[in-house]
Amino acid sequence: RAPGSGPMGMMYSGITQAREFDDPPGLYEKTEYLLREWVTMYHSPKAGKDSTNAFSLFVHQMNLQGILKTDELITRFFRLSTEMCVDLSYRVLIDQTIKSPTVTRAKCFHTLDAYVRLIALLVKHSGDNNNTVTKVNLLNKVLGIVTGVLLQDQELRGVEFQQLPYHRIFIMLFLELSAPESVLEAISPQILTAFCNTLYYLRPQKAPGFAYAWLELVSHRVFLGRVLALSPAQKGWTMYAQLLVSLFKFLAPFLRNVELAAPIQLLYKGTLRVLLVLLHDFPEFLCDYHYGFCDVIAPNCIQMRNLILSAFPRNMRLPDPFTPNLKVDLLPEITQAPRILANFNTLIQPASFKKDLDSYIKTRSPVTFLSELRTSLQVSSEPGMRYNIPLINALVLYVGTQAIAYIQNKGNTPNMSTITHSSHMDIFQNLAVDSDTEGRYLFLNAIANQLRYPNSHTHYFSCTLLYLFAEANTEAIQEQITRVLLERLIVNRPHPWGLLITFIELIKNQNFKFWNHEFVRCAPEIEKLFESVARSCMHPKPS
Amino acid sequence: PQNSFTEDQKHALSILEVASKHLPKPMDSLKIRYNGPGGPAPTPDYYPATAPNCNTIEFFQRLSTETLFFIFYFLQGTKAQYYAAKALKTKSWRFHTMFMMWFQRHEEPKTITDDFEQGTYVYFDFERWMQRKKEGFTFEYKYLEDKDLN
Repeated sequence: RAPGSGPMGMMYSGITQAREFDDPPGLYEKTEYLLREWVTMYHSPKAGKDSTNAFSLFVHQMNLQGILKTDELITRFFRLSTEMCVDLSYRVLIDQTIKSPTVTRAKCFHTLDAYVRLIALLVKHSGDNNNTVTKVNLLNKVLGIVTGVLLQDQELRGVEFQQLPYHRIFIMLFLELSAPESVLEAISPQILTAFCNTLYYLRPQKAPGFAYAWLELVSHRVFLGRVLALSPAQKGWTMYAQLLVSLFKFLAPFLRNVELAAPIQLLYKGTLRVLLVLLHDFPEFLCDYHYGFCDVIAPNCIQMRNLILSAFPRNMRLPDPFTPNLKVDLLPEITQAPRILANFNTLIQPASFKKDLDSYIKTRSPVTFLSELRTSLQVSSEPGMRYNIPLINALVLYVGTQAIAYIQNKGNTPNMSTITHSSHMDIFQNLAVDSDTEGRYLFLNAIANQLRYPNSHTHYFSCTLLYLFAEANTEAIQEQITRVLLERLIVNRPHPWGLLITFIELIKNQNFKFWNHEFVRCAPEIEKLFESVARSCMHPKPS
Repeated sequence: PQNSFTEDQKHALSILEVASKHLPKPMDSLKIRYNGPGGPAPTPDYYPATAPNCNTIEFFQRLSTETLFFIFYFLQGTKAQYYAAKALKTKSWRFHTMFMMWFQRHEEPKTITDDFEQGTYVYFDFERWMQRKKEGFTFEYKYLEDKDLN
């Protein structure tokens, strides 16, 4: 349900009004005339810097035509203008006589850029200088109208839909409104919010025909830079994370398939590039939101997840995991909890299950809680879809953080001996032993998702995984633990620090008798692989 | 297997398929360049796509004056134009805002007042695309572009 007033309300009403066609007689012609006039004025040498001269003349013309009389008429003017710009673009795009894409674009941009400048000027000059509300409302209204026209266009044209005019309008308008001018700087957080809301509306799930332009917009250097640098309280981060989550969600069902369709491959490649930029320029952003991202990324997308899990705060210096005799327990960072900007506690549903869980953690009874655990996590009997993955992820992290708090309350720090023999470890061991292959794979993945830069979660879950390996009652569990670690390491870089640390410990520490297991020798290439990892991290070479 | 997709996913995939046939081009997110080259064209790998460190003032200072003029007149409103103007200024070229041309003193001016200087100048004629000399020219300071480019 749409909120009544305020920026969001303006956007909703803009989207709705994009579907109204009962225009008063003559308005279409007036709009067409005005738009044509404006395009000519915009391109005239007399327009002045930033079209200032042209604009004051044009506002006079708009007044003469009575367009500025009511909000209703202004809204209709924008809707009609947007449709005219779009229609013109379609006519140019399907014109067979134009051979060069550069010429096609120049023709489209001729009108689109002029229209964008008009929007920007009207936003800047609406209300008096200090009246930010009017400006922000108008912007949201116009963005809503363009969004509504786009959605309707996609619906009507179907496979004939073209992203170009909308892409141009959005990016150019964003760049115009990012200019270093005090009027704009005063409303820059609201401008960013308006664009984030627009992009969220047009997420690939809603507008698949717009997906490539959408990704271009989301990853545009100016947009990305501004939204992630936005203060206060990193509001921009939450909005940007939401956009990425919507992208991951859209991709997930397609990426789960082994054979990727070419259009998906393209979108996937673009997504990886955005993640690489983020990893390089905003690693703290990926750190803070890793949980939410991992929750929606398909389990088989190893590299995509590694990019997110490899992020660490820039002020941190990670010790080389291959350092001989590295004492992880002694790192000062290992006692500090990472920031998790996801409310994973509330993801443990239903409430009765959460109640039973808390009660078991506290009292270590009844044992039936453990035996029913597997059923609680199952959602269907279809292979590959049996389990509620977000619930497994939430359960693992919740139990882990409870365990860390419990150990610290007793004045200890988590290590191979303090993590054992507790209600928390009961749950983990039960999940390891009692699950089928699919469930165990998801459970172990949920643990591996916490193996990141040096922090208390990384350390706790690293110890937990190693303990589960040591205490496993079947070789199948050990093989699966090895598989989860190995498959995250055989892909191209980057590799999360905690993952390397855990794997190295597993093959180096004699207690785990890693080299005595059958599965290590199951295939010559696997054996070679283990030995090459071993060679790079330990001396002397294993026999 | 594709048949495990829902109807919505199949629909999205078919729309995406068509959208991938007319992808956004780099120029879609850039200001129109009236003089610039056309869109990207396939070139052999052995042609370098960019020069390293070409986004520094030092790089622009190493370019020939004529290259800087080319950048100034043909890449308007870009960072490159800004750097070219900066580099020209360090080479003692001054921009005349009425003639829209760059001038350099050929010798010490014969006259210098608070409002103008007069003497022999070299200037770059962008219409003939060449440097020319002008004797007895009066450079009025009100036409001197003197914004601090830092």
